[in-house]
Amino acid sequence: MSIIETNQLTKIYPGNIRAVDSIDFEVKAGEVFGFLGPNGAGKTTTIKMLNTLIQPTSGTAVVTGIDIVKSPAEVRKNIGYVAQDVGVDEYATGRENLALYGRFYRLDGQTIKHRVKELFELVDLTGYEDKIVSTYSGGMRKRLDIAMGLIHQPQLIFLDEPTVGLDPQTRVHIWDYISSLAKAMGITIFLTTHYMEEADRLADRIAIIDLGKIIALGTPAELKQSIGGDVVTLSTCETGEEQCEEFIRRTQAALSNKPFVLGTQATDGELAVYVNKGESAAPTIMRLLANEGIEVETLSVSKPSLDDVFLKYTGRTIRAQEGTATTFAQMQRRRYRR
Amino acid sequence: MSLFTDTWFQTIRHLKTQIRMRVWIFMNLIQPILWLLLFPQIFKSVSTLPGIGGDYLQFLAPGVVVMTVLFGSAWAGMGLLHDIDMGILSKMLATPINRLSIIASRVIASMVILVVQAVIIFIIAVIMGVDIVTGVPGVLFAIFLISLLGLGFAAFSNGLAVLLRRPEPLMGIINFIALPTVFLSSTMMPAQLLPDWLDTVRQFNPVDYAVVGVRDLVLAGYVWSDLWRSLLVLAGWAAAGLAFGTLMFRIRAE
Repeated sequence: MSIIETNQLTKIYPGNIRAVDSIDFEVKAGEVFGFLGPNGAGKTTTIKMLNTLIQPTSGTAVVTGIDIVKSPAEVRKNIGYVAQDVGVDEYATGRENLALYGRFYRLDGQTIKHRVKELFELVDLTGYEDKIVSTYSGGMRKRLDIAMGLIHQPQLIFLDEPTVGLDPQTRVHIWDYISSLAKAMGITIFLTTHYMEEADRLADRIAIIDLGKIIALGTPAELKQSIGGDVVTLSTCETGEEQCEEFIRRTQAALSNKPFVLGTQATDGELAVYVNKGESAAPTIMRLLANEGIEVETLSVSKPSLDDVFLKYTGRTIRAQEGTATTFAQMQRRRYRR
Repeated sequence: MSLFTDTWFQTIRHLKTQIRMRVWIFMNLIQPILWLLLFPQIFKSVSTLPGIGGDYLQFLAPGVVVMTVLFGSAWAGMGLLHDIDMGILSKMLATPINRLSIIASRVIASMVILVVQAVIIFIIAVIMGVDIVTGVPGVLFAIFLISLLGLGFAAFSNGLAVLLRRPEPLMGIINFIALPTVFLSSTMMPAQLLPDWLDTVRQFNPVDYAVVGVRDLVLAGYVWSDLWRSLLVLAGWAAAGLAFGTLMFRIRAE
């Protein structure tokens, strides 16, 4: 059974910015679905269309069996939304924050009381119910924020970049809460992130989105398998940029027609070589390059990560894009706010 | 039904927020007392002018109540801006909440606060020696007039907050409007002492209608010719504010 099904979902912002470009995908009930892409790829825009905060320019989606364009008000009853900004009222207590959301979903006082207790236990905030939120740490606020999205026991919850801006230790904690949530409540989770590790660790299936389009979709294992067995990464960058490009060009030429090489991908002065067996390929590569008179500074063999998957499909690393992509996303947000 | 309950629970939230800000409550009470103490000193020499009646404190007290309410309600949009900025508003919009309740609750919370403020200022004024000729019923009538003024300003302020989405332009507009509306009225000076052009301008200023009405009730009694006009104009002002606020919210909320 599918809980989200999109049909040519598209959002075009003024200035002909195609934030989301005719995407089609399906999320099954009960799964954790990861939406992975760099900042500005269209993740938040997709979430905001699915949770009815913004209207699609064209196309539509069926969320919890209801069309988001035809009956947005009905969709809102069935979903929870945890935004990228921690939208908690810091002048209120944790309990007041949760209870208010309970009221928004028309729960009665008694039910709210029970749920508050349960949810504070779930996110490990028991004892802090009646403390003002401004005394909470960043991680505690995020946990409260997640609890607020669960007060009405929705079928589906949207988590938009749930760990952005949190320190690494807190991030791991939040991951634990999200996994336990999926297991304990059997809730479907739609999660966006630009952290490879986060998607890899939490998601049952992942869609990789870039420039408003879905470029790959599958389980983390499937996506990694699509690359091949291993990645051999070569670099010689300490000798300067021009030589670096020369190195990559020559190395690619030397290796690309070899039968054991599945593919190559250059980025940031490094060359990723996809092979079946890294351990045996590495010495062969070294010998081949030595014959050509190409000097290699470093060589590493690794299992493919989602980073490699992203690199293979877009020709860029997700990290390399961050600088410019952030500016683009901020530009968009500013334009939108005015 | 959902409009009523959603508005109720959010109004409680806003009032709790205000009550928890001790400094805010303190300043809001100190400020009008300061006006009541300071202005009669500054304007001591004008108290003999016609239209004031020998006691500037007596003349000014209604104006101070109106001013306090005006300044308080004109800033009402700042709270909504904070919600927009923190992402609280967009989170609320993803729930089945009644849209109108978001702005209605903010306006109602502002009204509750300004009524409490007005009552306190009246009490302080009486303690300081101001004589209110219409007594308690007159004060209630006065508070009703002021509430309409405050409702209008609070609704406009919230509408502007949704429209502008940034504190800087909102602060600019409020600063630009608040003091001039006080001086372009008979708050500080009786109408007969104002230059002709100012006397004309004040008739387009809702603040003046509140001041005239409240001053009648404090100094003169039930002057129905003035009071009816004040009531109608201020009701119109409140309705215009609400229309603007809800319209802005409809088209700009997200």
